[in-house]
Amino acid sequence: MATLTRLTRSTAPTARFALRLQPFSSFLRHGAVVRRGSTMASGSETTRFDFLVIGGGSGGLAGARRAAELRANTAVIESHKLGGTCVNVGCVPKKVMWNAAVHAEYLHDHGDYGFDAENVKFSWEILKAKRDAYISRLNQIYRNNLDKAKIQTIQGYARFTDEPEPTVEVNGRRFTAPHILIATGGQPSVMSDDEVPGASLGITSDGFFELETLPKRSVVVGAGYIAVEMAGILATLGSKTSLIIRQSGVLRSFDSLISTNCTKELQNNGVDLWKNSQVKCVSKTDRGLEVTIVTKDPEKKNDEKVGTIEGVDCLLWAIGRKPNTSGLNIGSLGVDVDERGHIIVDEFQNTTRSGIYGLGDVCGKALLTPVAIAAGRKLAHRLFEGKKDSKMDYSSIPTVVFSHPPIGTVGLTEDEAIKTNGKENVKIYKTSFTPMYHAITSRRSQCIMKLVCVGKEEKVVGLHMQGLGCDEMLQGFAVAIKMGATKADFDNTVAIHPTSSEEFVTMR
Amino acid sequence: MLYCHTINSLSFKSQDCFQFLLGFTTPPNNNSVKPHFSCPAFTTQYCLAGKCDYDLVVIGGGSGGLACSKEAAQLGQKVAVLDYVEPSAKGKTRWGLGGTCVNVGCIPKKLMHQAALLGAAVKDARKYGWQIPGTVCHDWTTMAEAIQNHVKSLNWGHRVQLQDKKVKYLNLKGSLVDECTVRGVSKAGKETILTAKNIVIATGGRPKYPTNIPGAMEHGITSDDIFWLKKSPGKTLVVGASYVALECAGFLTGIGLDTTVMVRSIALRGFDRQMAGLVTDYMEAYGTRFAWNSVPKRVDKLSSGALQVTWTDTETGCEHKDCYDSVLWAVGRAPETKTLGLDKLGVQLNEATRKIVVGADESTSVPNIFAFGDISEGRPELTPTAIKAGKLLARRLAGQSTELMNYDNVATTVFTPLEYGCVGLSEEEAERRHGEEGVEVYHAFYRPLEFTVAERDASQCYIKVICERGGDQKILGLHFTGPNAGEVIQGFSLSFQCGATYPQLLQTVGIHPTCAEEVVKTHITKRSGFDPTVTGC
Repeated sequence: MATLTRLTRSTAPTARFALRLQPFSSFLRHGAVVRRGSTMASGSETTRFDFLVIGGGSGGLAGARRAAELRANTAVIESHKLGGTCVNVGCVPKKVMWNAAVHAEYLHDHGDYGFDAENVKFSWEILKAKRDAYISRLNQIYRNNLDKAKIQTIQGYARFTDEPEPTVEVNGRRFTAPHILIATGGQPSVMSDDEVPGASLGITSDGFFELETLPKRSVVVGAGYIAVEMAGILATLGSKTSLIIRQSGVLRSFDSLISTNCTKELQNNGVDLWKNSQVKCVSKTDRGLEVTIVTKDPEKKNDEKVGTIEGVDCLLWAIGRKPNTSGLNIGSLGVDVDERGHIIVDEFQNTTRSGIYGLGDVCGKALLTPVAIAAGRKLAHRLFEGKKDSKMDYSSIPTVVFSHPPIGTVGLTEDEAIKTNGKENVKIYKTSFTPMYHAITSRRSQCIMKLVCVGKEEKVVGLHMQGLGCDEMLQGFAVAIKMGATKADFDNTVAIHPTSSEEFVTMR
Repeated sequence: MLYCHTINSLSFKSQDCFQFLLGFTTPPNNNSVKPHFSCPAFTTQYCLAGKCDYDLVVIGGGSGGLACSKEAAQLGQKVAVLDYVEPSAKGKTRWGLGGTCVNVGCIPKKLMHQAALLGAAVKDARKYGWQIPGTVCHDWTTMAEAIQNHVKSLNWGHRVQLQDKKVKYLNLKGSLVDECTVRGVSKAGKETILTAKNIVIATGGRPKYPTNIPGAMEHGITSDDIFWLKKSPGKTLVVGASYVALECAGFLTGIGLDTTVMVRSIALRGFDRQMAGLVTDYMEAYGTRFAWNSVPKRVDKLSSGALQVTWTDTETGCEHKDCYDSVLWAVGRAPETKTLGLDKLGVQLNEATRKIVVGADESTSVPNIFAFGDISEGRPELTPTAIKAGKLLARRLAGQSTELMNYDNVATTVFTPLEYGCVGLSEEEAERRHGEEGVEVYHAFYRPLEFTVAERDASQCYIKVICERGGDQKILGLHFTGPNAGEVIQGFSLSFQCGATYPQLLQTVGIHPTCAEEVVKTHITKRSGFDPTVTGC
């Protein structure tokens, strides 16, 4: 899965302006029109662009660059580092950590394959230094890409003014454009100390990427993919890890086969799973945090058990994400948001205010980097190339969870297919096997696969899998499913031997 | 020979994914052959009268033969399969049921490839913060025994499957007597005669030795031996540049052996030239030596036991010598047609290749006799095509279907250190068919995320999507070098089978961060001359 998180801010965004400012002359060099603000009593100037993008993450940058290619005079406002969640506190550093964890698994298998790698130790410090250096290089690449495309980078927090013409103020300077894109992303939700006393002693996935050492004792709270990935990485790298989930399984929005299997795999990998449980309070002792957990018996509603985990040096909340809209002052703009604060957009990324658009995590739909990128580019083509029908297709979006082993999924779950098509019109194909890699290893994990087919022609509407290599298997299948492939098409495809992915085309 | 299995998984993947049984022991290897009814006059009429021993006799218990016989049995046919392995020329290596793939091909090859990948992973792991003291050594025997035990478990699994599906298995060397009679000869020379309504030949092929190089056969081994060696082959010369040669050289290098590939002209003939170049460039960068434009002249065993190879550099005409512990010939494969009695029956062979000439329905020039897999002319030498062709043939012979095997759109993967997967046409072939102006190539050099922290050179990680230039931009060929190419390319081969166009590729959302997503992100055309290097997300 793509996006993760953004740095948690303890103070109000507008109170902390970033330091780096573009020299004013560079705006002129790039040909932006500067004019005297006509409506403002302060008399400050408003810089005018063709396209103003708020948020230098995956979606914003992709939209800005495509717009610039289409000769739109474009600026990007970013309060933090370029690249957004994905590059800084999401997909990229997450996958680096996952790769490090995969090496831990390989090291288990080395002996079985004849290698004598023994007395192995892990240095989180070395890994973090390399990861940070890589991320910094990426930040620089993004900066260079913007410069090359002659896109203004405006450093600071954006806030809409109350003027009738939509205008954005950054560090006291004002900017406007006929087309303004809000792509500010999201950030991890946190529990308040009112809800759970001591909750603020914990961190979120943002904090995970700031950890300087491998925690000895971790508690991860949540059942979504971020919780699953974080718990998997920590446990595999050698932290004793507990995962606290409210119900009996993780990934409950995924196909039931995946949900059940992933829950089992977490336990196989040594994650201490607390089902039907919630954190009641957290306190600090001289041996670390003490996390108190209430476990309910799902059968007997009133039967509660209270347990504690002591000596915790990493309590990680992974209970969801919320949009970054506070401080934008969109309320006065006529841009509607839903009950959770997500910006409401139509299929063309239009908000309820003309000339203002929204995309990516801030809209709360398909929180994935490639989705935001595609939506940004489609929007640029619509606005600056006159392609009226250019819009993002949100159907059949493939996603991968970097669990151990990884999960790949695209399209409808079995339950969703039954709900829309009726049980009699849904046919399921399933298989499970031990990947050949594990044929000679003592460490083993199964690969499970499922195809959800609909109708007489057995159109494949869903594909779900968990196992070694599933992360790289999914993409090509996603193309075929998007094309409307049927089970017969799968059957007519010759297998590639010996792979795990061939099992999808040899299913009976 | 008895051996125990410690495998305790429910199902294991073989080329035909069978349910694996728990902790069993193999029975002795001597197959009790039931005396078969035999009759002096085996005629077609006799069989047509319904008095044959079998509906179908399959000669060859490899991937194709097993798939064909099991499918036929499931359709209610009475089936026997004959399998017999002549020991290899040099190593006298023998193996069990399952053919090339299971015993001396895909399965042990991929496992040794996995071992080699782990060898590379040790180096990467250090960059990922894993502190591994000293140099990591590899023990051939540990790996080989584990792989050999796995292969033996697969041999046994295949026998169990035949038994379950009521296919009679005979460990006999089969040959044709007439169009409905097969003679089987046991290791001890005992003869069994079987009659059948239909006979299927699926005896596959074996590696060739060069005929004109002194010492080649006396001192050299082939891929029939390499997987079954009890001791490390040591410093090895691999002669040949087929995928077999490169895969073997790749895994030998990966487990730390000094390995040289000797190439007469080009590597991976038949594959896209640019991609083949990337595959060998990567191997060279990661320690495999290449002796290009070189032709071996002789192999001599020195008193030290080392094998001295003399070769000629065809460009300079100079002669070179070096010593190796092993010489592995990978100069091609020959069909097992010599001892089948085909000439006598008039089964037509291709004169050059000695493979059996077959029709679209796998029929030979003689009625009731069919052939498919590696032994048949013009067919891809691949396990999955043999399996599929075998199943379809069984269905047709049982009168259940008329569907023919479609040999187009077959994807394949070369398991070299940098894997290479492809489906469809090479760039050269696409240009030959559609003209240079009729083809658009979208390409990208990408950097797998797993290479970045590991500080590995990714200059050979490349994707090429070859499309028709006009119309819908239908995809003609798709090529991918990189980690997990085999797993990446399968799904794309399905979309290729569905007739995917370039716009359809682009309409699919990428999966971030993976290598496979780079395929749906390719947007730089070769024609444009722009830098196809991927930067950023």
